[in-house]
Amino acid sequence: MLTLLSASAVPVLGALLAVGGAAKLFGRDTARQAAGTALVRIVGAGRAGLALRAVGAAELLVGAGLTASPASAAPGMAAAALGAGFLGYLGWARVAAPESSCGCSARERGPVTWRSFARAALVLAGGAGAAARGGTWWDEVAAHPAAAAATAAATALALAALSTDLDHLWLLPLRRARLRLLGHPLAPTGTGRTAGRVPVAASVELLERSLAWQSMSSVVRSALLEHWDEGGWRILRFAGLHQDAEGTRPVSVLFALDAAASADTAPLPSVRVTVLDDCTDEQLPVTPPDVPVRTALTVLPLAT
Amino acid sequence: MSSPRSTSASGGRGLDRRRFLTTAALGGATIVGASALGGLDADAAFAAPTPSLDPAVPAAAFAEGRITAINGSVLEVAASNGGRHLIQLTNATSIWKLEPTTAEAVKVGDGLYARGVPMPDGTMAADALWVNIVNLAVTVRGIAKDRLHFAHGAHGLVGRVVPGTTAASYLAGALTSDLSQVRIGQSVQVLGAWRPEDGSVDIARMTVGH
Repeated sequence: MLTLLSASAVPVLGALLAVGGAAKLFGRDTARQAAGTALVRIVGAGRAGLALRAVGAAELLVGAGLTASPASAAPGMAAAALGAGFLGYLGWARVAAPESSCGCSARERGPVTWRSFARAALVLAGGAGAAARGGTWWDEVAAHPAAAAATAAATALALAALSTDLDHLWLLPLRRARLRLLGHPLAPTGTGRTAGRVPVAASVELLERSLAWQSMSSVVRSALLEHWDEGGWRILRFAGLHQDAEGTRPVSVLFALDAAASADTAPLPSVRVTVLDDCTDEQLPVTPPDVPVRTALTVLPLAT
Repeated sequence: MSSPRSTSASGGRGLDRRRFLTTAALGGATIVGASALGGLDADAAFAAPTPSLDPAVPAAAFAEGRITAINGSVLEVAASNGGRHLIQLTNATSIWKLEPTTAEAVKVGDGLYARGVPMPDGTMAADALWVNIVNLAVTVRGIAKDRLHFAHGAHGLVGRVVPGTTAASYLAGALTSDLSQVRIGQSVQVLGAWRPEDGSVDIARMTVGH
């Protein structure tokens, strides 16, 4: 069974290495791809592109050797060495440059993840299996064609699952299907202390669209300091500076509005405004906003 | 992290103070109507400071960077451009770290945006401080009960849902705590607080389909 598994996996692994290696070696985008990888830390920014092409050449050679070479153990040993090298590089990159891309494939620009390690481990295991197995892989496949095809397909699927390049083909549709079948995990439950409450951010958004906020815009200096609900009201406190003939003094600006209102339900909010002297708690006068009201314009008939 | 200011009045004095402020707030002048003016909410951390035309209003200063030390109520901040800021917190400084909070929640290593007034001694008296705030354009890649998985460029990002705080706005509607309209594959603008310890983001709000 192990012999069959190894024999079936070898061409898949060889093809993967050859295709990936060719993309790195001949790709127009290789230099740009290399700029985001941890290779920059090893060989410098100027030579990272060349280093990535060299890695691609090695992958292409090993892949071609695994696929085409008959009974020789050398390609398998080279693939195992390549896999071990990848594992070491990924481990180093994860510690030394965690934000860097691994440069594993042409489209993959994300940082090193467990899937990168799993792919490298598969290369190591596949190479070791190929080196240990005697004879050519095609003899084994010819002897058990159906089982070999199934094993090769499983290997290809495992390698695809470990690549982020193909997530949009299977992972995202799978997640969407799970949501459709099992329901949205963030659907409101109707229970709990905060269920159905208007978020404070919505009250702040409503306040900031109000004339009350405009009338206090020259007084308020801070963002929201604190808030609480009381008897259906939501109280929002801001810090401010009040200027009058006696000078400038620090004040608290209190806004009270309907705790259940939001910009959707109350486009013209009613807001209570109070300004308190921070030192004496004296209530200071609030000047109503001097905002001209724009009335509807008369619609004139168009000339014909 | 200390408790947010919405629940900070746990002591007897705090509750008495809240009662007094509530009575004062409900006795204030009532103003009805909508305005087109902007605000000082968390989005304002990313807006360019607007100089006032009123000479009596001191020019607003802006600072950003990582906190390298906290000396009493002064934050030493290393700016991303290599400069250094000394930010003075006062009783009137608003502090945002996912939600309104207190100075005890601010830690060395946190990132910040601050607005305030430059003082003669070279410090900046902060009016408002936003700690670890991030504003990211992302794509939804996965949805779980307590978190969302995003793609931010080529990088994955975990967004944590904070019950009672995380809100969403759909198609320019008002912010709501109902997150059930978020879909896999959607482009979302996420405003939240970055967690330095694991690189995830506590979500304050998601703006979908604007």
